[in-house]
Amino acid sequence: MADLYGTGVGWRPEIAGVVADLPELGFCEVIAESVDPAAPPRGVVELRDRGVPVVPHGVRLSLGSADGLDRDRAEHLAACAAALGAPLVSEHVSFTRVAGRDAGHLLPVPRTRQALDVLVANVTATQGLLDVPLALEPIAALFDWPGEEFTEAEFLTRLLDRTGALLLLDVANVHANALNRGADPRAVLDALPLDRVAYVHVAGGSEHAGDAAHGDPGVYHDTHTDAVPAEVLALLEELCDRSRPRAVMLERDGHYPPAAELADEFTTIARTARLARAPR
Amino acid sequence: MNDAFAAAQAALVDSLVAGAAVPAGFDDVRLATVRRALLRKRSGEIARTWPLLAAAHGHDWSAIVAAHLDGVAPKGSLRDGWDVARALRAAGTLPSPAAEELASREAGRRYDGASAPTRRRMPAVRRGGGALFVYVGGRTLRLRGLAG
Repeated sequence: MADLYGTGVGWRPEIAGVVADLPELGFCEVIAESVDPAAPPRGVVELRDRGVPVVPHGVRLSLGSADGLDRDRAEHLAACAAALGAPLVSEHVSFTRVAGRDAGHLLPVPRTRQALDVLVANVTATQGLLDVPLALEPIAALFDWPGEEFTEAEFLTRLLDRTGALLLLDVANVHANALNRGADPRAVLDALPLDRVAYVHVAGGSEHAGDAAHGDPGVYHDTHTDAVPAEVLALLEELCDRSRPRAVMLERDGHYPPAAELADEFTTIARTARLARAPR
Repeated sequence: MNDAFAAAQAALVDSLVAGAAVPAGFDDVRLATVRRALLRKRSGEIARTWPLLAAAHGHDWSAIVAAHLDGVAPKGSLRDGWDVARALRAAGTLPSPAAEELASREAGRRYDGASAPTRRRMPAVRRGGGALFVYVGGRTLRLRGLAG
């Protein structure tokens, strides 16, 4: 399985200094679309040179597009992995583009046999271009498609079985999806193929009260711009009780807090997941 | 067989970002929530490309973007912001620092409002927000500030 251990963080230029100073950093992730493989960000290269594994994380490959894979983007992901000596790469179970349109955001695919075939074809084609394993992350979605044939766990298990891909499990997404559907997130954890987990995402979010005015009470947004809520940390603990992940990381994408606060959140995640310093 | 699936995905995207009706079977309240969330995200992305335009509007920025771009298919943050800045200029409500930012961009690039902006081949001069921008030899120079 993929070679990741310990506690990590999503490297972003705005927090490069904080990330570089984290004393127990096990690995980091970098948004693949922000990387020029010919000249990766200096902060990322410095971490890699220190022996910190770097995982390119794609957000715009759109593996769920029914009109096929954008080969240039898949090649870019592979080039990022090669340039950074990455142990693996990751992307989402999602689509962002189709038929010349771009939503600018990760959207859910219907959990149907047809969508499964599309994902398997696009994932397999991507894997053919990669020299390292691919981990797939289920997204947070505020809505579902009509006429679905599988639960998320069933759909995901089939996808991973047919492609051999690993699982990037985002516990904040599990929390968000369960909360927004009135489901029990622990039952979702019980059903997921936890033996396929390569690493785990933890991120913050917020309840959006403003949407109640439009008839939608209590929508939880997976923002990545808020602190990690206690419920998400509790779910991380629930996950560790079932199958302790070897690598867990914090994702933060804006409204960055002071360095000490970010470092505290990192430490809290490491403690919650009972992760020691990475073996080197 | 995937043509129908691709069409269904396109209809969903159109309803979320291009003003089309919500496709049958979807929760229209939730899709409306997603539509507003996407507009907020879009305003943040435009703010990174047009920092002075966004800063000049402070907390109203997301609302300004929603007012101009709700139902307008995204064209990338450069063009999205360019379109908003031009609309505000045409309405006479473009704040001075944002007018400078727009003039600086327009000095160096030609944008017809319909396709991707292209770098100019010939020198050009644009005025905005009390500053004068001269594009010559592949560089944009700010020649004069408000103080003259």
